[in-house]
Amino acid sequence: MPDFLTPFHYDYMLRAIWVSALVGGVCGFLSSFITLKGWSLMGDALSHAVVPGVALAHLLKLPFALGAFVAGLLASGAMALIKAKSRIREDASIGIVFTSFFALGLLLISLNPAGVDRKTIIFGNLLGIPDKEVWQLVIISAVTLLVVGLKWRDLMLFCFDPNQARTIGLRTGLLHLTLLTLLSATAVAALQTVGAILVVAMLITPGATAYLLTDRFGVMLWLSAGLGIVTSVTGAYASYFFNGATGGCIVTLQTLIFLGAFLFAPKHGLLSARRRARANAEATAAS
Amino acid sequence: MSDSPDPPAPLLHLEVQQVSVVYSNGHHALRDATFALSGGTICALVGVNGSGKSTLFKSIMGFLRPSAGQVRINGQPVAAALKQHLVAYVPQAEEVDWQFPVSVWDVVMMGRYGAMNFLRIPRAADKAAVEDSLRRVSMWDFRDRQIGELSGGQKKRVFLARALAQGGRIILLDEPFTGVDVKTEEAIIDLLRELRTAGCIMLVSTHNLGSVPEFCDQVVLLNRTVLASGPTADVFTEQNLTTAFGGVLRQFHFEHSTIQEHDGRTVRLLTDDERPLVFGKDGHLEYKDREGREDLVRQREEQGG
Repeated sequence: MPDFLTPFHYDYMLRAIWVSALVGGVCGFLSSFITLKGWSLMGDALSHAVVPGVALAHLLKLPFALGAFVAGLLASGAMALIKAKSRIREDASIGIVFTSFFALGLLLISLNPAGVDRKTIIFGNLLGIPDKEVWQLVIISAVTLLVVGLKWRDLMLFCFDPNQARTIGLRTGLLHLTLLTLLSATAVAALQTVGAILVVAMLITPGATAYLLTDRFGVMLWLSAGLGIVTSVTGAYASYFFNGATGGCIVTLQTLIFLGAFLFAPKHGLLSARRRARANAEATAAS
Repeated sequence: MSDSPDPPAPLLHLEVQQVSVVYSNGHHALRDATFALSGGTICALVGVNGSGKSTLFKSIMGFLRPSAGQVRINGQPVAAALKQHLVAYVPQAEEVDWQFPVSVWDVVMMGRYGAMNFLRIPRAADKAAVEDSLRRVSMWDFRDRQIGELSGGQKKRVFLARALAQGGRIILLDEPFTGVDVKTEEAIIDLLRELRTAGCIMLVSTHNLGSVPEFCDQVVLLNRTVLASGPTADVFTEQNLTTAFGGVLRQFHFEHSTIQEHDGRTVRLLTDDERPLVFGKDGHLEYKDREGREDLVRQREEQGG
């Protein structure tokens, strides 16, 4: 029996692999919108801001997704409020809100050490994920895929040109809230697999990589979802050999692929930009 | 072939009635603005930066709720007009993310979303409308280009095509001539004239004062309120412009001494938004009192080569 097949003999590994494929795909799907809308920082903030919700949900014996979801919405509401009602810039208001929420979360966890493991929240625990939480992930993913699958064109227009969306009668307020909700929900899902610190990578890197590889939104959507799935599956599999550091494996893989695209992308890569510049210089010199 | 068989275009009315807009920071952007337009017309919206041009646009598009007064389109509130996709907006170049991964075709198709079904899957009629619009602005051959790869004039035409595809009857154009070559400017003006014949209302915000009398039949002068509105000949006068712009407007006086018999009383003026360059028959109007010294001018000219 060759060594590289051993992970597939354990049920917990098989489950970890398909769960991470699901979460990676959904995060990848959504990352196209997040990167183009310029919400990367927001994604990072939300992934930390959901922590007190998760801790409180454990305390109250509620589904963790519910607690995280409420905390996420509260946090984004607080950010919007500070931005609208004060002279503080958006990045500062995001910084203030998410660190406050995260600190509150850490406090709640240390007050109730039996409820939830701090390491699980910060680093994720894909290999030891309980059944009922798997179900929550499946539901979150299914809803996200359904909404994005049905309304991706509206969301794309909302990201590209919200004014046009409004003038032709789309409800941009609702689209904004939808995207924010999906972002919170997937942040929670990714929290389980890679932990609060690395969630933002799952929500940005696949989209950013795909953006370098194509000029078509439809292609970008599939490419980023595909990247999310492939890296998550491979990362989960590889983590068997790396002592269970699933998040680290997945995100490192994503970074490697991003670097490849950054250098070698056919049109928007560093090398092809150089080649173009050189060709232009030669053309100018020749003429 | 753009839309379902065009009903004999009903006369279009846009009324801005005593509109005041106060922003949440207390800034009074617009006070008691009133004017009315009926299709077809090309109306210039002229005023200094901060005079409330974009605030007025936002009120007509329903993005802002006026603190007093109202905008009515065909006697209905704005929201009702938006539902019929009557209002189209051609944004300024700076407002657009040109790196967004969409093609020319995709952008123009976005104009059709309002008319599409829940899933926004284009039908044959939508595709026909997009093709027709792209051909009208001569951008059909560029349909597969990513929008960032276009020139300034081409970019403008794509967004104009989107307004056409949408079938908007009230078209708001924000600085349509900045960063646009003269040929494109003429092409855009021709298109606007066609739309005027078709009964549309075009409201064009512009700093390009020189071209206003050429293609606009009406003018709204704005400075935190409507200073004057009506036919270009009545409104676009030196006196009104001086009031609207205060000291901001660059002035160039042609006195008796600048324009001489010698030039046959004709001058050409070239401007790049800076000091205008004025030409007489024998070149640059640089020397005052050239009368009687034509030889000197000619001599300088020859030296200059």
